[in-house]
Amino acid sequence: MNDQPKAPPAAGGSEADIEELRLRRAEALQLGGAEAIAKHHGQGRLTVRERIDGLVDAGSFQEVGGLTGQGRYVDGRLVGVTPAPYVMGLAAIDGRPVAVGGEDFTVRGGTSWSGDRKKGGQGGFIEDLAASYRIPLINLIDGSGGSVTSINRRGHAVFPGVHGFERSVELMGKVPVVSAVLGTAAGGPAGRAILSHWSVMVQGTSQVFAAGPPVVERSLGQKTSKEDLGGAGLAVDLAGTIDNHAATEAECFALIRRFLSYLPQNVWELPPAVASTDPVERCEDSLLRIVPDDRRRPYDMRRLVKAIVDRDSLFEIQPTFGKAVIIGLARMNGKVVGVIANNPMIYGGAMDVKAARKQTHFIELCDCFHIPLVFFVDVPGFMVGKDAEEAATLREGMRAVYVGLQASVPMFTVVVRKCYGMAGMGATDKNGIDFKIAWPSAEWGSLPIEGGVAAAFRREIAAAPDPKAREREIEAELRAGASPFRTAEAFGVEDIIDPRETRPYLCRFIDAAQGGLRTNLGPKPKYGVRP
Amino acid sequence: MARIEAKTEVTGLVALIESKVGDRIAAGDPVMLIDSMKMQIPVLVEETGTLHQILVTVGDAVSEGQVVAILEK
Repeated sequence: MNDQPKAPPAAGGSEADIEELRLRRAEALQLGGAEAIAKHHGQGRLTVRERIDGLVDAGSFQEVGGLTGQGRYVDGRLVGVTPAPYVMGLAAIDGRPVAVGGEDFTVRGGTSWSGDRKKGGQGGFIEDLAASYRIPLINLIDGSGGSVTSINRRGHAVFPGVHGFERSVELMGKVPVVSAVLGTAAGGPAGRAILSHWSVMVQGTSQVFAAGPPVVERSLGQKTSKEDLGGAGLAVDLAGTIDNHAATEAECFALIRRFLSYLPQNVWELPPAVASTDPVERCEDSLLRIVPDDRRRPYDMRRLVKAIVDRDSLFEIQPTFGKAVIIGLARMNGKVVGVIANNPMIYGGAMDVKAARKQTHFIELCDCFHIPLVFFVDVPGFMVGKDAEEAATLREGMRAVYVGLQASVPMFTVVVRKCYGMAGMGATDKNGIDFKIAWPSAEWGSLPIEGGVAAAFRREIAAAPDPKAREREIEAELRAGASPFRTAEAFGVEDIIDPRETRPYLCRFIDAAQGGLRTNLGPKPKYGVRP
Repeated sequence: MARIEAKTEVTGLVALIESKVGDRIAAGDPVMLIDSMKMQIPVLVEETGTLHQILVTVGDAVSEGQVVAILEK
């Protein structure tokens, strides 16, 4: 039976007070109790305290708010505390401070807790800490948000946003925000996961959705499972709701540490450069042969990128979603860069709606944190066809172009093969020095020759004795005129290089760009209306 | 014996089938080419196996995600 305490403890910290503090701290470590923890472990999931330990530098976690919870009293004497279902505090990753917090699923399923002040989730102390100290925030999400039972507890229904997302939104322009979905996240916690610069979930043990199977069945009559509705196969691979997946929670923590290793602590700092052990002058012979002579044959763009950036430095974001473009953080001579590379293996690299969405988010991420962009271009244009039109590829594609043309970080364009149309234009640095270097295999224009000849020379082709042969003749004539060297003569492209020279060439300019980056730090203002 | 599905990542027409039933195909190697977006996009196998069944013929229209061949590990 719960009673209220009879009187406050005596001032000064008597032995009894210290003993009570010890008891309260010990209670906090019990989480939801041995039985709840065993059940949680049985589902292949770690407790929030184990997660924090697995994520941050050993011994670096300084918990805040460990005493919060529901005290149980008998005759005014404390007999136990049910901890608040959220654990958080200050910690370090690779020696740099971070704010970290997560729901404790073993206490009431990690549902919202109402004390005088929120600990975390959307808003709360942990977000204030990240914002005020300008340090990254890591959300370890394992909760289903609010519950209708709160109406009974409070005596009224809570208006949406009473624990607002405004702080969460503010953080997106100031410090890196990472979210890991480590259980079933619906409602507020699901929304919190999306309001991140990068997110990750664990295959098989975590799901994310606006609402779970019972709500879906009630609303639409559809019977579905948690995994089908919001497992990694859907949320990461198909929908791109969450960026990456991990096989285990341990892998998840390693990915978070890796992601943060490329980011500054906040937008007022430069991303952390490291001393590179990979020589700037490394020129890979494989680059000479990587693009096939046959223009219809694709090639391995990942291999190409990896041969150019610092060895083992490519950290791919959304590797299984929007596969027509490959994006990732990498290093060149130790400096952080964002890589955007079209993938000819998927529809010849044409920008579809998913690739466009992926590219848009990544450009904004890099622009926000002052990370220069390197485009490896092989794009025939936007994806075509009825499916693509129905998906509003044109609109999403132009959004990617718009965001690219608004960004103010230095961009370097390496035209590997095709660079056509608006998708091609979106891969250039219009706010900077519009610096484009091309490989001899490059070709460009407003649209590919083979697509444009039939329309532009329709009458001439129709009038020819052998229309097919005439079409091929015209294509051959135009192709000779479309040699990249002709454009280089006109300084329409700034340079054409031996593919093997790409790494040293880029490294020199990325090194030189650091001064401009360093003197232009801070939040990026946003103007205008995205299409 | 574990079954490995080879799926096309693109919609298009089957252009060329480079392997025959019984062939050993290594992970990352192509089993066929699909004509799509004026390119010939390979269908790469994700795990090494022996080609057990080819489910399409040259000229067939295939859709993104469609299983076009079965391998056995």
